[in-house]
Amino acid sequence: MSVLSSQVSLDNATPSATRLEPMVQANAVTKHVPTQEGELTILQPISLRVNAGESLAITGASGSGKSTLLGILAGLDVPSTGDVILNGTNLSQLDEEGRAAVRAQNVGFIFQSFQLLPGLTALENVMLPLELRGDKAAQTKAKEFLQRVGLDARLHHYPQQLSGGEQQRVAIARAFASEPRILFADEPTGNLDSSTGARIIELLFELNRAQGTTLILITHEERLAQLCQRRIEIAAGAIVSSKE
Amino acid sequence: MLALQLLKRNWRSGELKLLGFSLILAVAVLSGIAIFTDRLESTLINESNSVLGADYIVRGSQPHNSEWTERATSAEIRQTQSALFSSMVFAGDEMHLASVKAVDIGYPLRGQFEISRVPFAMNTSDIDIANGIPASGEAWVDSRLLPLLKINLGDKVAVGEFELTVTHVLIREPDSASPFSMTGARLIMNIVDLPKTNVVQPGSRVDYQWLVASDNVPQLKQFIDELKPLLSKHQRLVDINSAQERVGRTLQTSKQFLLLSAVIAVLLAGVAIAIAARQFSGRHTDQVALMKSLGASAPRIRSLYFSQLFLLGVISSLLGLVLGSFLQQIIAVSLQEAYQIRLGPASIYPYALSFVSGLMCVVFFALPALWHLPTVPPLKILRRELAINVTQVWMQAALALFAVLTLVILFSRDLELALSISGALLAVIVSTLVIAYGLLALSKKWMVQLGGFWRLAFANLQRNRGQSLIQILVFAVAIMLLFTLTIVRTSLIEEWKVQVPDDAPNHFLVNIPPDELPQVQNLLREANVRPEPIYPMMRARLTHINGVETTEEQRSTSNALRRELNVTWSEKLAADNKILEGQWWDKWQRKETDLPGVSVEIETATEIGLKIGDKLQFSFGGLEMHAQVASFRSLDWRSMRPNFFFIFEPGSLEGYSPTYITSIYLPPSQKSFINTLLHDHPTILLMELDRIIEQIRSIVNQVSDGVLLVLWLTLIGGCLVLFAAVMGSIAARKQQAGLLRALGSPRQLIVGSICAEFAILGGLAGLIAIIGTEILLISLQTFVLKTPIQPHYLFWLISPLSGALFVTGLGYLGCRRVVTTPPAIVLREAT
Repeated sequence: MSVLSSQVSLDNATPSATRLEPMVQANAVTKHVPTQEGELTILQPISLRVNAGESLAITGASGSGKSTLLGILAGLDVPSTGDVILNGTNLSQLDEEGRAAVRAQNVGFIFQSFQLLPGLTALENVMLPLELRGDKAAQTKAKEFLQRVGLDARLHHYPQQLSGGEQQRVAIARAFASEPRILFADEPTGNLDSSTGARIIELLFELNRAQGTTLILITHEERLAQLCQRRIEIAAGAIVSSKE
Repeated sequence: MLALQLLKRNWRSGELKLLGFSLILAVAVLSGIAIFTDRLESTLINESNSVLGADYIVRGSQPHNSEWTERATSAEIRQTQSALFSSMVFAGDEMHLASVKAVDIGYPLRGQFEISRVPFAMNTSDIDIANGIPASGEAWVDSRLLPLLKINLGDKVAVGEFELTVTHVLIREPDSASPFSMTGARLIMNIVDLPKTNVVQPGSRVDYQWLVASDNVPQLKQFIDELKPLLSKHQRLVDINSAQERVGRTLQTSKQFLLLSAVIAVLLAGVAIAIAARQFSGRHTDQVALMKSLGASAPRIRSLYFSQLFLLGVISSLLGLVLGSFLQQIIAVSLQEAYQIRLGPASIYPYALSFVSGLMCVVFFALPALWHLPTVPPLKILRRELAINVTQVWMQAALALFAVLTLVILFSRDLELALSISGALLAVIVSTLVIAYGLLALSKKWMVQLGGFWRLAFANLQRNRGQSLIQILVFAVAIMLLFTLTIVRTSLIEEWKVQVPDDAPNHFLVNIPPDELPQVQNLLREANVRPEPIYPMMRARLTHINGVETTEEQRSTSNALRRELNVTWSEKLAADNKILEGQWWDKWQRKETDLPGVSVEIETATEIGLKIGDKLQFSFGGLEMHAQVASFRSLDWRSMRPNFFFIFEPGSLEGYSPTYITSIYLPPSQKSFINTLLHDHPTILLMELDRIIEQIRSIVNQVSDGVLLVLWLTLIGGCLVLFAAVMGSIAARKQQAGLLRALGSPRQLIVGSICAEFAILGGLAGLIAIIGTEILLISLQTFVLKTPIQPHYLFWLISPLSGALFVTGLGYLGCRRVVTTPPAIVLREAT
């Protein structure tokens, strides 16, 4: 794996990393937004590369630009300048429909607030991304993943009938059920108590190892960041440190 | 199919229920009314047409074109013909100027002849339904012809050079509604005998009638439309509306009222649909962002949501149709029991129209609220504060207004009704903006002086000014429509009751000879029958206006110039007549001593182009008479009393030998009085209006009953709207109330501020609603219903009060859990 700050050239990547396929590669991406006071820079030029099967933690204070970077890397947002290449496809050259197609093929998400649909049961929440892909075995696969996260007895429960930890397990099952190549997690334990959070982390990494998924996550939790192979810290829209 | 799956899930979760129920209600009310009106209309028209004897009649002084017969045959339209003329009928030394009707096989196409072997038969056991027309050589005659000619059944009478045997008396016949022009007793004969009589010669005054009818209404209508331009100026087309204006007008008003109810119900349901769709859309913003983050493209989202909406529209419309059919069947069955009227089947048109309207509601009321969903950015899943481009409220309102206009035009095919409703809606929107915005702005100053929950309530309204304006608008529209319907229904039924009171005159006595008048009056007095005013009546033709003879062109455009009219003189102005211009006799002064005054009915005056002071010349059977226009009058043809186009100054027609006319009320139990009257005075012509009155009363009763149910359904629609509007803001209120509770605010403050806020919203909406109601009523009563305009003072008090009470009640019910549930739970639910 190679994590590069804006000052670090891609050529400086380690020899072992260059042999691996890059799953996500950001080349000098920036993000500016217009405000009443003028243009606000959210991200300074950032370059980084995450190879297939590797895990990266993005840390930083609130408002540092972590979520913006995650959104750009996942193709949810577009950079003001620079390129993002996701599994060999340059997202900057695609319109929203093209990026959606890339996400459908490659990307899974886990969110801090779980983002389960309140009107759907646990099973239906997990089935949704599979159904959107037109997967005929959606129900079987969803059941299988819910079983793997230990919720086979809660298939027909609605989110409000589940605890926070259970809801996040449903969200994890939903993320892995569509077998994404890369998983983006936005503070996956942020809404959970520490013991529930620990169990969720364990589950997340276990599934990640089993599926061979690339993992990019935002976290404030030191324990979670340490479990990742790499971590970068962002402050004022720039990478201020990177550790292996 | 994923859209169906999602639809099922969204329905189960309750997010689509309000939308679905509103749609079902809209289609149920629309289809119920449309199917019922269609059935009622076709039944009543059929029934009315049986009074006419056909669906349409072409009347003229020449026989109809034989080519038309072939056209009608090829279009599978039933047809027959008759010829009407006055002719002396002889029996020995006796003679009478009879009104002869020669009829062809198949006559009548609608309705039937009722005949008897017993003169003046009243008992149903003595009366038979004729199985055809008189055979060649036979005649059926009015009972009164027997004493007039001193003959019995089986005797012979001569019409011209041909003798006919009188086999039956005629009790009732179709198309007997124009006896004013034919004052002789009726004789029915077979048209094949007509040439043998030799009475019809070139120049004879014969009214030829060609009758057509078909159960295939569209085909008949097309045939008639094609026929109209082919009619010569001597021919005119008669249908039930032109033949029986009273029935036609009542039917038309009833239909308009039912349609108005339907449109109002749809409008209310439409508002509920729009609100429900807005709520649905708000809740689905996150779902769309999630689906997009999972890789669903905008076209896919669009297709998924539009498919769901379309499926919901189709399913709800079908369910609404079933419910509507069921509802109208309930009304139809109760009618059948109450009035012994069997409604015919409805055409496919109301079903199709209602179904399409359901889909239109989806497109114009629900779709705009969901339009922006595919454009929700996927990034919103990470950044909830991200703004989204929601379809503008004014755009949604404009689309809804367009839908209303289209729906009203589709259903009523009445542009004035559509414009009235749309105009009133616009007025409400403008009033809302001006009054509500103004008051909310003013309340900023008051707030400082207010204390407790009022201050909190006004602060809330100020903070959510946009939302408050929308809520006031929605409440105002709902209240306005409900009040309009209630007021229109009440005033219409009252007006009908006034027009056709239980003791409304139901028989006209025409052609009373002057020398028999005292005896007739005595007879009426002895039988306890109270006559309406008795008028002298003469037949006259208007020949010159201001010394210039009327032209052929004028005569072709004016009925009053074309034929002889019944005229009278009278000292008193009848109660249902009103002077619109000029003066009645008590104030009028003759300009020239030998020029008496004449009062002219306003529509006739307008048609001819008369002015006050114009000099008219009349011909009374060849005798000239001059008069000057003294006044224009309006009159009410629905009053069942004798009415005249021209009323002369008293005394001005002395020497013109009038006959007399009056109307009487005869209860069914006294119907046999007719026998005595006609037996003693056979020259009197009797017009039985009791059937027509019964028909009008039956329509009024049926419509009143049907409308009551519709009113209830509309009320449900109104409640649905108010409920939807209140529930739309409940989540935010709950959150705020939960926060206040968590901060230790007392329960009274929270409940008080919620109630005060809803009371202000409801009260303001009620005030705006009554303004809109008055505007809508003025427009409806002036242009559509043609009923008198009057202010509704009581409603100016009721509307704001009931608005405040009702909305507060609903608001309290929706929010009451806020103060009884622990704040932590309320806050968690709200987020």
